[in-house]
Amino acid sequence: MPSQSSPATPVPPGAPPVPVPPAHASAIDPEGVPFRRVSDRLTTLRLIERGLGGLVFLAAASLPLVLRLAGVWGGYPAWLAWALPSAVLATVLWVLALVPRQVRAIGYAERNDDLLVRHGIMFHRVMVVPYGRMQYVDVTMGPLERMLGLSSVHLHTASPGTNAVLCGVPAAEAARLREQLSARGEAKLAGL
Amino acid sequence: MSAAFTGGAFHTDSADSWHRVHPVSPLVRGWVAVAAVLFIFGRNALDSLFTGRPDGRGISAGAPPAVIAAVVGAAIVVFGTGFFLSWRFTRYQVTDEHVHINSGIIFRQQRRARIDRVQSIDVVQPLVARAFGLAELKFDVADGGKSAFRLSFLKLDEAKRLRAAILARAAGVAVDPDAPDQVTEAPEQHVLALSPGRIIGATVFSSLSIVALLVLSGAVALTAWSGEIGVFIGFVPVFIGVGASYWKAITGDYNFRVALSPDGVRLHYGMLETRAQTIPPGRVQAVGISQGPVWRPFGWYRVHVNVAGYGDDRSDHGNRTVLLPAGTLEEVMAVLALVFPDPGVDNPVDVFTAGLRGPGNRHGFVHSPRSARWIDPLAWRYNAYRATSTALLCRHGVIFRRLEVVPHERTQSLSLRQGPLMAALGLVDFELHSTAGPIKPVVHHVALDAGRRLFDDQAARAATARRIHSAEHWLATAPSATPDPQEQQHAN
Repeated sequence: MPSQSSPATPVPPGAPPVPVPPAHASAIDPEGVPFRRVSDRLTTLRLIERGLGGLVFLAAASLPLVLRLAGVWGGYPAWLAWALPSAVLATVLWVLALVPRQVRAIGYAERNDDLLVRHGIMFHRVMVVPYGRMQYVDVTMGPLERMLGLSSVHLHTASPGTNAVLCGVPAAEAARLREQLSARGEAKLAGL
Repeated sequence: MSAAFTGGAFHTDSADSWHRVHPVSPLVRGWVAVAAVLFIFGRNALDSLFTGRPDGRGISAGAPPAVIAAVVGAAIVVFGTGFFLSWRFTRYQVTDEHVHINSGIIFRQQRRARIDRVQSIDVVQPLVARAFGLAELKFDVADGGKSAFRLSFLKLDEAKRLRAAILARAAGVAVDPDAPDQVTEAPEQHVLALSPGRIIGATVFSSLSIVALLVLSGAVALTAWSGEIGVFIGFVPVFIGVGASYWKAITGDYNFRVALSPDGVRLHYGMLETRAQTIPPGRVQAVGISQGPVWRPFGWYRVHVNVAGYGDDRSDHGNRTVLLPAGTLEEVMAVLALVFPDPGVDNPVDVFTAGLRGPGNRHGFVHSPRSARWIDPLAWRYNAYRATSTALLCRHGVIFRRLEVVPHERTQSLSLRQGPLMAALGLVDFELHSTAGPIKPVVHHVALDAGRRLFDDQAARAATARRIHSAEHWLATAPSATPDPQEQQHAN
């Protein structure tokens, strides 16, 4: 199993926002397709979201330790009380450390007949969604996303298996994408 | 499309002409409630009749006849009014483009279905409705099976005529004023029927029996261990449940017949509740043929289909996604030829047999590479795929064998997946997304290069096939009037 622990080449801070190929070209990407990356601000968004989620978990996992240190209840071994929050902390840090790489691995490409979406490094997925199969396109924006000027674009076909979400698309690009996809979908619409 | 016919043929409604369902229908739908009320009051009345006199306790002595009469009268009035209103407020209309159904007394519902989006139509006759000669017309539009449109109940003839009319319009048949008979119900052509022995045998030798045996042996073991017969009696409800499952499986599939009608494949089945299910050509999104280990000596296969609108239909009684509950290889091929007239190969029987039996690379199948044996020591030579000119075939499994067939023009989207272990072994999973249903086509553990090629080629094949088969109206594209799907797609 290839080691995935060390973060690869860091992105220079002043990198141009969108049309950069994903940092991790993988073996299953189709050849000769220039992928566009989503915004790097998605990294910030995910760090905040997952960091908050991690804090909640950490707080829950530290409860035995706190009870023990406070002397309220100590009916369990000390190593367990220490090991539980440490394990959770390590996991949270690991998850957070992976975020920048994961964000850089998200890419999409508009081809003539279809949209390609790729995700993930370790668990990698490439999906192709034909324009003629798109039933509708959702563009959503949560409060945090709004602050960062990002949107999520969700593509729906008649199949529940088509789970194509593009997170962290800059709002203007999302609007363009929505219009573009709808127009192409309309032009190539096929029956079921 | 002028639609003024005479002589029993169907004619579509203008915007302001509405029809009502049969007046008896609320009673047929609500008979369980009526029966429950009658049962409860009847039992109370009997109880008071027998127990009231001897001990002379309570209200039973003087009041009953009047009270009972009042209660029964009130029940009749309440049910009667409810039934009348429910009948009165249910109206339907079939125009050239749409089916409208309005229903509901307090919460009114007005539903409109586009006829050319109708995916399939069932004519269902529950036991009570059969006694009245009534039938329910039920049809799905492509919405993932959330809500079927129901017209309950109509006279059986009326339901059949309506079905023919809706299907003819969905097919895009331009109605010829000189030959209005075209829209009357076209004759069916018998394809095959399953004997009662087959249905019973298939149920007896199914996974249900394994469950039943496990339960039985568990009950016997526990009884022997505890030495008390009460333990065994405690299992009786479970036995009743298992028996009910057998009963449901056998009566549900009893009299299974497959026929071909001009408006699609028609399945007839059911012992008590009968159902005639019509799947128009081109509405089948994917076909799955499967065989468990117990069925192998008998050579039986089960055929499922994905049809947009059925969804994962298991809630409704009867499993509507089953195209053939238990068929031999010949029967499977016969049914496949109906829903999938052009397999895209010259020797379909050989190819499909290879697809159902495996292992190896015969007849153009490509199985997983050798490295897959670390993940899949048994099945790696069985997991295989083959693309014909019209469909992709995916083969799976050693013990539970499965073949999934997806026509290229029905592919929704595709994906490739790879986890770390598969990356180390140079493998990739290939997924095809079909509409909601029992079949989720996937090819496991393809060699990396082959998987990437498959991904690109399949996307291209699907795009080409979509351009050719873009018509919603499946007959409108065929210039010849012969509505035989066998004839339509011999473009090879």
